[in-house]
Amino acid sequence: MNPPACLAAAPALTHNTLVVAAGVAAVGCAAGVVGSLSLLRKRPLIGDAAAHTTLVGVAGAFLLTGRRDLPTLLTGALVAAVAGLAAVVLVRRFTRTRDDAATAIVIGVGFGLGIALLSGITARGLPGSAGLEQFLLGHTAALTARDAVVLAVVSAAAVAVVLLGLKEATLVAFDAAFAAATGWPVGWIDQVLVTLVAVMVVVGLPAAGAVLVTALVVIPPVAARQWTDRVPTLLLLGGTFGLVAAVTGVAVSAVVPRMPTGPLVVLAAAAICIVSLVIAPRRGWLARRRRQITLEPPRA
Amino acid sequence: MPTLQSRLPGPPPREADVADAGKFVPPVVEFHDVTVAYGGRPVLWNVDLTIAEPCLFGIIGPNGAGKSTLLKSGLGLVPLVHGTARFWGRPLAEVRGRVGYVPQRETVDWDFPVSVMDVVLMGTYGRLGWFRRPGGRERSLARECLDRVGLIDVADRQIGRLSGGQQQRVFVARALAQEADIYFLDEPMAGVDARSQEQIFGVLAGLRSEGRLVVVVHHDLRTAAAWFDRVALIDMRLVATGPTAEVLTPANLRRTYAGQVDLLEEIGQAVAARGRTT
Amino acid sequence: MNAVLDGWSIDGATVMHAWAIATAATVAAACALVGTLLVVRRMSLLGDAIGHAVLPGIAVAVLAGGRPGGPLVFAAAVATGLLTVWLTRLVRSAGSLSDDAGTGVVFTTLFALGVVIVTAAASRVDLDPSCLLYGILELVPFDTVVIGGVEVPRGFVSAAVVLATLIAAAIATWKLQVFTAFDADAARAAGVPVAVVTGGLLAATALATVAGFEVVGAVLVVAMLVAPAAAAELLVRRLHHMAGLAITLAVVGTCLGYLAAWRWNASAAGMIAVVLGLEYVAAVVLAPDDGLVARGLGRLRYAWRVLCEDRLAAVWRAEEKGTVAAAPASFLQWLAVGWLRLTGRFVGRAGGLAMSVAGRREAEMIVRSHRLWEAWLGRHAQLPLDHLHPPAEWVEHHLGAAMRQRIEAEVGAAGDPHGSEIPPEA
Repeated sequence: MNPPACLAAAPALTHNTLVVAAGVAAVGCAAGVVGSLSLLRKRPLIGDAAAHTTLVGVAGAFLLTGRRDLPTLLTGALVAAVAGLAAVVLVRRFTRTRDDAATAIVIGVGFGLGIALLSGITARGLPGSAGLEQFLLGHTAALTARDAVVLAVVSAAAVAVVLLGLKEATLVAFDAAFAAATGWPVGWIDQVLVTLVAVMVVVGLPAAGAVLVTALVVIPPVAARQWTDRVPTLLLLGGTFGLVAAVTGVAVSAVVPRMPTGPLVVLAAAAICIVSLVIAPRRGWLARRRRQITLEPPRA
Repeated sequence: MPTLQSRLPGPPPREADVADAGKFVPPVVEFHDVTVAYGGRPVLWNVDLTIAEPCLFGIIGPNGAGKSTLLKSGLGLVPLVHGTARFWGRPLAEVRGRVGYVPQRETVDWDFPVSVMDVVLMGTYGRLGWFRRPGGRERSLARECLDRVGLIDVADRQIGRLSGGQQQRVFVARALAQEADIYFLDEPMAGVDARSQEQIFGVLAGLRSEGRLVVVVHHDLRTAAAWFDRVALIDMRLVATGPTAEVLTPANLRRTYAGQVDLLEEIGQAVAARGRTT
Repeated sequence: MNAVLDGWSIDGATVMHAWAIATAATVAAACALVGTLLVVRRMSLLGDAIGHAVLPGIAVAVLAGGRPGGPLVFAAAVATGLLTVWLTRLVRSAGSLSDDAGTGVVFTTLFALGVVIVTAAASRVDLDPSCLLYGILELVPFDTVVIGGVEVPRGFVSAAVVLATLIAAAIATWKLQVFTAFDADAARAAGVPVAVVTGGLLAATALATVAGFEVVGAVLVVAMLVAPAAAAELLVRRLHHMAGLAITLAVVGTCLGYLAAWRWNASAAGMIAVVLGLEYVAAVVLAPDDGLVARGLGRLRYAWRVLCEDRLAAVWRAEEKGTVAAAPASFLQWLAVGWLRLTGRFVGRAGGLAMSVAGRREAEMIVRSHRLWEAWLGRHAQLPLDHLHPPAEWVEHHLGAAMRQRIEAEVGAAGDPHGSEIPPEA
């Protein structure tokens, strides 16, 4: 992988860098919030199929329009992500293939198609094609301030949708049978959630890349879950942890040459998760050990 | 040539026929020719059941006989192969706000991060509609309902930290918060200690005396004989329906629960005892 | 991106390509064999997770001096694979989470760790970071060892060893694997060491993954594991047929994918995954019983038959009452009438169409089926009269002569509950 030369230079705290950092922070926060809803709905990995098909959209958008500005590429990625999710649903409905195999096929074949297209583009040396591979593992150093603003706006919109429909989403996640019996359109509400996840996966591409962006949606909510028993707090912590992980990863990748951003963001999130699993009060490992040692009965 | 018509009771009176007779009150809940199948296997077959007055109504039958399925089909949770379910003569979609539901407890994730109060408030969501948050009125209604089931002290506790009986009472409180006229409860006494069962039964009896209809899927014949005004015996088909003492006869029970003879004697005695006291 | 093929101008280019294809096909066969069991046991996503998660193990082994594709690397991969499963269980129980959440946390973290190790140590180690994601199949033929006087690519040798090991293990443990796959509880009760059997499958997955690593990279291994097996599942019914067919599909797909990549100047790994996906789609569409084409045609045929038979019966019933049947109400019904005429069940008469002898016989049989079924229902199911017609409307298309005779024997020829006469058997 050949990152652009600008990475080798030491980072300067320019206005540009700060805006980019803010944009990535917004993405991380929104991914954590949306991911918390997926976790509550017991479908944390639903974005995986979407994430791996985004590459097809990026390559396709470039081939169709010849442009490589971020909004164009991400729009293509969103179309492809939705198509990937639709493909999984179609395979489940119309074939005997089991659910997990359907997801695995879409992941592998979708990613393969994306790789094939990207490699074809690069091999032919089409103008402007350099740098498309950065969507594989994430690379924020090339983001412009304008791009970051776009990402931030979309992320804010996603969070707004979540907050608006929080009561409906919680109801469906907790007791879908009761929700359906009392007249709520459970299917539609699920569709909105899946679409939000697809949007977050696409928006997270510059920060984490196609292969690892699901981690941004999965790990911070898992960490947040250890600390709280209330839904609003879960969303708040999920967003916070996502934000911290994204910013940390981006900051470290700016300092370390040649390192793609995605893995660093994931490792930052994982560190928060491990710490949470160990030290969280009541649910953490240490707290459980302490309860066993002091023979404290579970609170009635 | 004798035809079916001369031998069986006729179909339920249609509106056109009875209207001529003067006053016509539509049945409160009416299942007509309900047939449900899961993956090609019939679970309920041609069930006609009409519950035409407010009471405590029990749906009794062996395991796997389709009792829960009957409730769920009425609520639109499982698809009907054919048949209809009507409430006050209208489809459920028109009267949803007036029908309350307490589902089986196993379908719930007790680790979910909600408190008792949060769950009871969910009963008010139907009336709130899209995007509005529960306010003061909803909260005081929820507290009333919690008080009625005796759980006001644990309102802020996360639901996983309750006993089985308490968990069931939370769901009853949620249904109360729906402020409905008809209540469907699916095995509310399953896995609940005797004291909580009595408490829940007290709440349901209270609803009945307020003039509401309470339909309960119930698994225990003994308590069924004591608690319900009217019952329906279901074993994929409707075996019998009517006042409890008339339906829970040894003959009917033998047809439904083939082989449990000792139980039948006990039931017979319980029904006779109730017949003496009421 | 150096993972692209173009025509080499050196001599022996064909030999290079042949070796690359052979290596890829061997790896694909190994993956398809393991993948059959993974798919049947609903462990496809676990295969994907292991594919990602073995990366840090491989990276550490290579840093410690192991050769890519050598035994140390394989051992490290197997160890990491089993570690992944253990870590997943740990996270699941520690965090009170579902399977998916635990898997998601563990495999992404391990993969990220692997990428960081590989990138950080890229100068000291001959593991090209790009090969992580899409393999270095094109370079495999250039790294050779000499075996029996012939220059053989090292990658092919390790792939062949893996395939041979897996085949031997499969033959030895096939019955246990199948038993555990279909009913783990019954197997455990029968004394099968289920944990060992599953552990063995996971170890095999890790081996196949590492072999696939060089060929298609970490992420695309899942395509080689799952797609051929899923396609085979749609086409055959017995498990060992499924394994054989999966291997065949995998080998054929790999060769075609490589050739396509050569022709269109694209990544071999990507094209292989795409071709395997196309094979799966072909299986979905064309499978003889379950395929979309077969099912669609079957439904069309059935719907058409019902339409024609309904029309015939309507005409006959109208005649019985002494009236004329209503004109075709829709375009489809009009077509049905045309088809009935074409097949000789309607004939032209003065004043319109009438039933031929054959058509009348067929209509009578349909009405006979309908009324016999109503009589049977009325007698045995004690249904009110208005409940009898809908089921009979459906069943009338499915009763044959033998069934009708049996039903008639039970209900007697007394007539249907509505009082109509039942036509006799033709």
